[in-house]
Amino acid sequence: MSAALPFVSGAVDGSHLGEFFTTPIQFLHRIYDECGEIGEFDMGGLRTVLMIGPEAHEAFFRAPEDQLSAAEAYQMMVPVFGEGIQYGAKPHIERQQLRMQYQGLKHDKMVNYADVVAREVNDFIAGWGDSGEIDIYEAFTDLTLKTSTHCLLGSDFRYTLTEEFADLYQDLEHGIDPSALLDPNQTKDTFDKRDRARERLEALIAERVAKRRASGEFEHDMLQLYMDAEYEDGSKLSDHEITGMVIWFMFAGHHTSSNTAAWTLLEIARHPQYRTRLQTEVDQLRADNPELSLAALKEIPLIEGFMRECLRVHPPLNAISRRVMYDFEYKGYVVEAGKNVMLCPHVAHKLPEHFKNPNMFDPDRPKPDNPFAEISFGGGRRKCVGNAFAVLQVKTIIAALLQHYDFELTQPAESYTEIMPALILRPSDPCVLRYQRRQNT
Amino acid sequence: MSWCIKVDKDLCQGHGMCHMEAPELFALTDGDGPYQLVQVLDERPPDALRAKAEAAADSCPNRVISIVEE
Repeated sequence: MSAALPFVSGAVDGSHLGEFFTTPIQFLHRIYDECGEIGEFDMGGLRTVLMIGPEAHEAFFRAPEDQLSAAEAYQMMVPVFGEGIQYGAKPHIERQQLRMQYQGLKHDKMVNYADVVAREVNDFIAGWGDSGEIDIYEAFTDLTLKTSTHCLLGSDFRYTLTEEFADLYQDLEHGIDPSALLDPNQTKDTFDKRDRARERLEALIAERVAKRRASGEFEHDMLQLYMDAEYEDGSKLSDHEITGMVIWFMFAGHHTSSNTAAWTLLEIARHPQYRTRLQTEVDQLRADNPELSLAALKEIPLIEGFMRECLRVHPPLNAISRRVMYDFEYKGYVVEAGKNVMLCPHVAHKLPEHFKNPNMFDPDRPKPDNPFAEISFGGGRRKCVGNAFAVLQVKTIIAALLQHYDFELTQPAESYTEIMPALILRPSDPCVLRYQRRQNT
Repeated sequence: MSWCIKVDKDLCQGHGMCHMEAPELFALTDGDGPYQLVQVLDERPPDALRAKAEAAADSCPNRVISIVEE
């Protein structure tokens, strides 16, 4: 005999869709406050069960893929990446594609990336002058588009990034909105644009691939890896698949990283009491390692602490979902097949049992004892495979900036808040900081 | 008091940070899934390698590695 799942109050015509779309973070917190570790709500007919806390997270992440399916829960990504890619492919194909992505993120590749990111940051600040103001949300969106494409797709791709590419990419992004969760194939202007952008992007990338194949040149980047990769049966990726792999990579790593970099610099500016320690840290880093190497970047605990605390307090992704394929049991509750289960880092990271004084921002906070308490990158076998790259990228950006500039808020501290317009948490708009060149640099 | 290295392979995605920290203790091997997996080369290494083992555990993005007192 299983217990009835607590169903959160406030449904309108049986559904919480409206509240989820307008105030998702507040809504997810409300479910936990009302129901506790496990609570159910309704997404326009799709029953969804929110699970909060390390034990629940562990059960979720250790469940087999054929029981809790990520592919079924994320079908909205299929028109963006393309049919036959990631969750639009059969599981054994998706597994091989993920292996190809992983090849570009292993430690032997990562050692090259720190230097590339640092060079991009130096280009980025070249025209800044001694002081000024900058919207760091916008600036980092632009910067990480460049660093990601540069590290992962090579310098030729990076330096020929056209306005057209940026526009197409934006049209794809606009194809991810709450309505796509329900039906990504409904007739809608933004979805039409998404599909046209996907088509045009494929033409651009196919052109690039053909050019490189004709020239016989070899580059150390992901594009090369995609071009050379083989499935287990010896077949190669088509241009359609290569394009999908590129888009998949960009989507996974772009806003998540840029928002985290923006939060990190924002919190550094909001907490000037750490300025001296931060300066000492980056000056020591530079004295020991004029080139920012992967090994050197491990030695900046306070910057890393700021970044990790930002991932705890302001996690970019807050609805980690799976479709239940056959009944899933947890502590006497049964979540039936056909429902979704969901984790929410924003809620889970504020549990006082695992994070002392959870509402205090503390860059010196130790890692929680339970490895499943902090889930900003997910967990288990489907944890974000780019997580080490993301950490490296944000640390490099922040360290390179702090070597040259100090940052402070231009608005009252409480005016910088969280918003989540497109399913990714970001700082409110505008997000302007003032920068001042450091005396001795 | 002796100690040993334990890994939870269910959570490993083969980032290889442990191997960078302590190549004498950790390697990567091919598995059936999408990722390579950690392989512990010496589960009960000498005390001289304790600091390196701890650094490797600390560097793991997936928190796969633990140092256990026996």
